[in-house]
Order: sequence, then structure tokens, then C-alpha cells
Amino acid sequence: MLMTFAYIERDSFVHRLDPRVKLVLLFAFSFAMYQTINFWVVLTGFLISLIYYNSARLKWSETKRTWKFVFVLVGVIVCANFLLSGGNVVPGLNVANEHALFSIPFLGFQRHAPFVELTPLTFTVENITFMFTQAMRILSAILFAIPISYTTNPGHLGVSFSGLGVPDKISYAIDLSLRFMPTLARDFSVTLDAQRARGFEIDKLRGGIFSKVARLAPMIVPVIIGSIVGAEDIISAMELRCFGVAKRTWITQLHMRPIDSLLIVLGLLWFIVITTINIIGVIHSGPWNFLHGQGIPHFLAP
Amino acid sequence: MAVTEGQRRSATFIWGISVRKVVYMALGAALYGLLSVPTNFLQLPGNVSIRPAIVIPLFFGAVFGPWVGLFSGGVGNFIGDLVSGYGVYWNWDVGNGLIGFIAGLAMYITWGRYNNTRLIVIGEIFAAVGIIVGLASAAFSDIIVSQTTASAASATYVSGLIPDLILGLILLPILLVAYNAAMARYGRRSAA
Repeated sequence: MLMTFAYIERDSFVHRLDPRVKLVLLFAFSFAMYQTINFWVVLTGFLISLIYYNSARLKWSETKRTWKFVFVLVGVIVCANFLLSGGNVVPGLNVANEHALFSIPFLGFQRHAPFVELTPLTFTVENITFMFTQAMRILSAILFAIPISYTTNPGHLGVSFSGLGVPDKISYAIDLSLRFMPTLARDFSVTLDAQRARGFEIDKLRGGIFSKVARLAPMIVPVIIGSIVGAEDIISAMELRCFGVAKRTWITQLHMRPIDSLLIVLGLLWFIVITTINIIGVIHSGPWNFLHGQGIPHFLAP
Repeated sequence: MAVTEGQRRSATFIWGISVRKVVYMALGAALYGLLSVPTNFLQLPGNVSIRPAIVIPLFFGAVFGPWVGLFSGGVGNFIGDLVSGYGVYWNWDVGNGLIGFIAGLAMYITWGRYNNTRLIVIGEIFAAVGIIVGLASAAFSDIIVSQTTASAASATYVSGLIPDLILGLILLPILLVAYNAAMARYGRRSAA
């Protein structure tokens, strides 16, 4: 089994960014976006994330498998959420108090037999706006998340986490886990081929549920136990080199450029502003009223 | 490195991060990240995907401690996301980390040894609790992260809980017995 990371070496704005910046932007932006249901704030964030993703210069052919999964995931989350809640998706609002546009017959649950009944599924200005807001919010976070896989050298992740204040032992463990992967992938492939030579058919597991699961053991157990036994040499080597006794240095040195620092500041500022708006709540200042609630214009929801 | 029985049964044995535990953390995370991806095609009746890799944070937590379980589950899930290229979903990384962490709390009773049925059953109980709590944390945090409703989150939770419980609870004792046999053969005890 050939194991490769999704990383694509390329010279783009996002590729040149310090890995720490990408991680900070992901968390600051995501945490900010998750706090708000305001359409205009989420739209602004979505546009910013589109610009960021576009500057990574990733081709559709390289990422289409990922995006197909993402679109299905977002579609399922938004639609299933809407259907399972009977249209009551807007936090703090009941669909009966919203501005209805149209209804379609749908199934709803009831507390007495037959427990399922025909109920109208109402589409309102508020819940349609919320669905778009929800989809944009999820996609915004994903637009910051996907470039991390494709634009960050896996070898730089350990030193990045160390630079973010994570203890050296944990950062080194992250680095070591990425170094283990090609070796483990090879071992897994060899084990699977060896078991197939002995008549093990991974895609033709017979028997009931419990038998099928137990028959997975020949695929998994040798790889895990073999790698634990093999790790003893690595442990001995690290102990002989006094790992953990003194502060660790890294062969790769990351240097923040002014643009990296600026982006971190902007990302944290975005998070602080959104959080502040969220804490303050209603802003009753004429032109800023659109930041309140969902931000639906008055002419749509009088 | 040889240790006395008194040194084994101490808080440091459970909560300390030695060189050995750093390596096992890395190994557990790499195995979980690697094995999560290629087994997605496996299906139980009813089109439910199964992840035999779920046993990895359970096993590493039960044998090497809660920190190793936490790292194996959390960072392993993060690495799986990196390999697949699907993007990073931090709340699911936290949930997977919790699975391994709670399974690792079994060390308070078992001290990393599973050489009889009673200890294996204790490990299974902690593993089951870990799966229940960890998956709940991941699925229901989507209410805040993705603004899903409780019913949608519940559906996600139940669809993941049953296969993970079945896989984890069946494969974990097999791994524990195989590990005991391997360690007996090489003349070593479990992590210090």
C-alpha cells in the first residue's frame, strides 16, 4: 500500500505562510464563525475564506475527491438538520412565529400511536436564511482546513506545534508519528499480502456480525503487535541519546515574516470582534442593526 | 529499563510521560491515522461503515495509559484527516482523544496488565465508556460547531456508536491477549 500525504509542493501565497499561521487562522476563524448566525457576518467570513483558499492555487483535479465528500457532508448536515427538526432550525425561534413562504406535506413525529403523522413542513424566510448561513459557515471553516493538508509540509508540523507552545515531548511525538507512517504502511501492505497468501480474504468476510469482526484480527493484530515490538529499538536509541533530559532543538527553524505576524493579528482580531459582538448582544445603533440576530432585511421579514 | 513493583504502582506510572510513552504515543497515532483511511470500504449489514481502527486508541490507552490513549485517538484522527485531505475537524479529534483517554483510566485498576479474564473485562468496561462518552462529545459538539439540531446529532451518534462498540469490544481482548503473548515471548512487561 503506497501511503502519501496530501501535501503538494508548490509556490503560492499559502504555501509560503508559516505553518503556525495556518493553524492559528484555522482555529481563530472557525471559533469566530461558530459563534454567529448573522448572515452578513458569515457571508463576509465566507468571502475571506474563499480568497484565502484561492491564494493556495490548488487545482480542482487535485482536490475534487475531497470537495465531493465535503459537498455531500454539508448537504447532509444542512438538509438532515432541517428535516429532522421539522423546520425549527433557527436557535431561539419557533417556525410558527416566523415569516412563512410555503409549506409541503411531510412526516412528523407525535407522542401517541401511530407516532408518525402528516404534518406541513414550513419554509420560512428565517429558516431558509439559516440554512444558507449554516452552509456558508461550515464551508468557511473547511476552506481554511483543506489547505493545511495540501500546503503544509508534514515534516514541519512538529516544529510548528513546538513554536505554538506545545511541550517538546508532545511536539516530537507528532513529528515521530508522521515519520512512522510510511514504515507502517509498508508493514500493513506486507501483512495483508501474507495473510491473503494464507487464504485470508478481506473483502469476503463470512459469518454473522461478530464472526466478521473477529475475522478482521489477522489483518490488524500482526501490524499493531509487530510495530510495538519493533519500537523497542527506537526507545533504546532515544534513551541512549538522553531524549527529554534537556530542552530540544529542531533541525528545521521556522521564521515569522511580517505578513505571517499580520495575518495572525488579523485572525485574532476577527475572533475578538465576533466574540465581542456576541457578548454585547444587540447593537441598537441604527446602521449597525443588521449585525443583530440573523440580519434579515426588514422588507423580507417585516 | 527494570522497575520495582513499588515504582510501577504509582501516579507517575500512569500520568508520567517517559521516552517509552512518547514513542507509543507516536506509534498509536500513526497506526490510527493510517488504518482509519483504507478500512472505510468495509460495511456491516445496513450500509454502516465499520472502522476496526477504533480498537487502536482503546488498546494503547488500556495498556500504556490515558495520555497515550488521548494522543493516539486525537492526533491519530488529525493525521487521518491530513492523509485523506478531507480537512481538519477539531471537535472529532477531541472526541477520538477522549475515547482513548477514558479507556486509559483502566490503568488505575489494571496497571497495564491484562493477564486474566477479570482484568480484560475491566479494560472492556472502560473502553465501552470511552466510546460512549467520546463519540457523544464529538457528535453533540456539532450542535455548537455546525449548528445541527439535537436530533441530527443523535442520529450521527447512534450510527457511529453501535459499530464502534461492536468492533472495539470484540477486537480489544484479542489484541490484549496477543500483546501478552508477545511480551511473554520477548521477556518484557508493559510500559513503564
